[in-house]
Amino acid sequence: MNKLRLKFSKHGPIKFIGHLDVMRYFQKAIRRAEIDIKYSEGYSPHQVISFAQPLSVGATSDGEYMDMTVNSMISISDVMNRLNTVMNEGIEILAIRELSEGEEKAMTAAYAAKYRIRFRERLKPDFDWIDEFERYLSKDKLPAMKKTKSGEKEIDMKPLIFDYSLNKEEESVELLLSMSSAATLKPALLFGAFFSSLGKEIKTNALEVHRIDIYKYCEEGDVHYIEPFITDDINTRFILNG
Amino acid sequence: MNFNLALPDDILLSIEKPERYIGNEVNSVTKDKNAVDIRFAMCFPDVYEIGMSHLGIQILYGMFNSYEDVWCERVYSPWIDMDQVLRKEDIPLFALESQDPVKDFDFLGFTLQYEMCYTNILQILDLSKIALLSKDRTWDDPIVIGGGPCTYNPEPITDFFDIFYIGEGETKYREIFDIYKKARKNGMSRIDFLHECAKLQGIYVPAFYEVKYKEDGTILSMLPIFDDIPKVIDKEMCLDLNKTFYPTKPVVPYIKITQDRVVLEIMRGCIRGCRFCQAGQLYKPLREKDVEHLKELAIEALNNTGYEEISLSSLSSSDYTALPELIDFLIKSCNEKKVNISLPSLRIDAFSLDVMSKVQDVKKSSLTFAPEAGTQRMRDVINKGLTEEDILHGSHEAFLGGWNKVKLYFMLGLPTETDEDILGIGDIANKVAVEYFETVPKEKRNGRTIDIVASTSFFVPKPFTPFQWAPMNTKEEFLEKANKTRKGIMSQLNQKHIKYNWHEADASMMEGVLARGDRRLNEVILKAYKKGCIFDAWGEYFKFDVWMDTFKECGVDPFFYTTRIREEDEIFPWDILCPGVTKAFLLREWKTALSGKKSSNCRQQCLGCGAASYGVGICMKERKA
Repeated sequence: MNKLRLKFSKHGPIKFIGHLDVMRYFQKAIRRAEIDIKYSEGYSPHQVISFAQPLSVGATSDGEYMDMTVNSMISISDVMNRLNTVMNEGIEILAIRELSEGEEKAMTAAYAAKYRIRFRERLKPDFDWIDEFERYLSKDKLPAMKKTKSGEKEIDMKPLIFDYSLNKEEESVELLLSMSSAATLKPALLFGAFFSSLGKEIKTNALEVHRIDIYKYCEEGDVHYIEPFITDDINTRFILNG
Repeated sequence: MNFNLALPDDILLSIEKPERYIGNEVNSVTKDKNAVDIRFAMCFPDVYEIGMSHLGIQILYGMFNSYEDVWCERVYSPWIDMDQVLRKEDIPLFALESQDPVKDFDFLGFTLQYEMCYTNILQILDLSKIALLSKDRTWDDPIVIGGGPCTYNPEPITDFFDIFYIGEGETKYREIFDIYKKARKNGMSRIDFLHECAKLQGIYVPAFYEVKYKEDGTILSMLPIFDDIPKVIDKEMCLDLNKTFYPTKPVVPYIKITQDRVVLEIMRGCIRGCRFCQAGQLYKPLREKDVEHLKELAIEALNNTGYEEISLSSLSSSDYTALPELIDFLIKSCNEKKVNISLPSLRIDAFSLDVMSKVQDVKKSSLTFAPEAGTQRMRDVINKGLTEEDILHGSHEAFLGGWNKVKLYFMLGLPTETDEDILGIGDIANKVAVEYFETVPKEKRNGRTIDIVASTSFFVPKPFTPFQWAPMNTKEEFLEKANKTRKGIMSQLNQKHIKYNWHEADASMMEGVLARGDRRLNEVILKAYKKGCIFDAWGEYFKFDVWMDTFKECGVDPFFYTTRIREEDEIFPWDILCPGVTKAFLLREWKTALSGKKSSNCRQQCLGCGAASYGVGICMKERKA
């Protein structure tokens, strides 16, 4: 039995497929690829797969993750080839890593996500939002009203923004935001609060969201850092605080 | 994959289920539009989830795309929210694969599965900016062609179609495509092209037939305006289903649809001859597919789709000769693949119960019986073979096997129906409950009890059935009968174990008008659409009052088509077509029905219905009797 973590992308029209339908898509793809997937016990057995974090409808991604358990396999690259042969063009398996015994599920290990945000062509703001956004992000506190099960509560978004960089030419911004069971900051909430700080209202579905990767939390000696779930590149590490 | 969608992201994100409009599903076919001669848009005029569940389109889609010179794409009715967006933003309706406007296509094909979709045909044409009326179309418009069961009386919608294809779609399209290619190459006129098509068997070009009426409103004559086209159009039929194309790479949707599984068609036609059933007559004779062939198709389709469920499809699966062998094979191979088998409504007997207990969770599943009528007399009239003994015996066996949920289906408004037949419904339901209590002693019930659901629909007489002569009940009669049924059930000893559901009477009446309507309904349908009627098959959108007002405005009496008593020698609007069974046979059956007698099924004895002229299937087999 092997536990595998798959990294995949979501592009083009596939971005309109909701999270539950992506799960159903994978269940069928795994059958088509004839992967020796492990099934749960019980009267109606289901495949043992789980996803790191749902991606909102309309967003694209180069860093989605799914964990799956197989009874047997020839090799990791064989699993990857089989899956990519039966995949739709818009979804591609980018990498697979075998998990070690006792490693946390992607769902619980997720700590942060990196996004690239633009505005949809037809819904661009009528002001120089990049400069304004930079000013906004440099504030000491970034209060926002977050919807909870019991209503709304005020949170400070500032500590949930680990990093950001603005690209004036491309009118885009990259954000490294907290995404864990303890605290998740969605780009829509941040931009909504940004707009209302200017006395403006953001248009529905105006944001073009692209998820670049999902990060897990790591420690090495005294160093606390986060890095993508699957990476060979030490430069993708982001040091939290030494 | 096609990354260029017809709609901008913000529109797709603002509507319900954008997945309905983005195409790119697994096994959908993309071709180079410049490398094909014919572009065919295949439409099911209802919402995506319903349309995608239809087997017929998957068959023709796969077959057309297997032709190098044809690219077939799909179109479904945009749901209400999308309909409004397309109109407001002035975006022409597009096909899913290329996302190109439907108007650019060579053909627009509609499958017509139920009468209540007729206004949606106009929605599709309208949103595509195709002229609504055939007579107004030019070569700038696609050829609009209709197929499916409703084309067996296409008269209410003749104005909107250039061609009706009568019968099974697998046989004649290649010829039509070749005529089309030649016609376009040689600069032939649209009329001349249609004239060429009208010479083919199974092809009905309604504009080429002139209908004259008598003073009483019935038909005097329906005659071709050309000498070289047939006076009566015979249906097209596949003579060998084992050699006919069957899709093993059906399109797999992203969203859940109504029929979300591999569908394996095991045979066509039916031996039963229930007198209310149109499909039973239209698809005669019964033709079975070879079991070895089916095994291959099943495995191929499961491998190509990744579906977790497979279902058998036919009008009466218990009549398939090699059913035990097929099911054995499926249970074995599906178990390996962790695939579920969903069984069609099998006749409840020891065999089917054994099979069901292997493939379903007995506690969750329910037994289904369709006695259709409450007394043996009434069941004889409709020629439904199921007896009370069958039901009680089947229930008994099932209760022993652990089942405790039973569904019973009936019809109200059948010809010769009396109060006794109506009250018989409650009676049967009660007897099933009694059977449960007698079969399962209290200590073995484990806190469970019997759970019966009785449902009634209102009978709508259909063309090409022995009941095509029968007057239909009025809405008031229907509701009174439903009320009597309810009271009958309430008066039963075990009434608290019986739940009763009944159908909408308004929708049934409308279906009755359209089912046996004539060409004078074209105007009514067009007007009703223009007044906002759409998605009539969806209770929440069906505007009965608007329809009734429209009948009045057009000076058309809807009851002429429903409650009127038809003479034996009346020429019906659909008599211009022939599905194989003859009118003489249907009339014989109508009279046998009125005398309260059953008829034998095709396996027992040939009734001489006329379908033997196709020279295939059950008609060529030796009979047991």
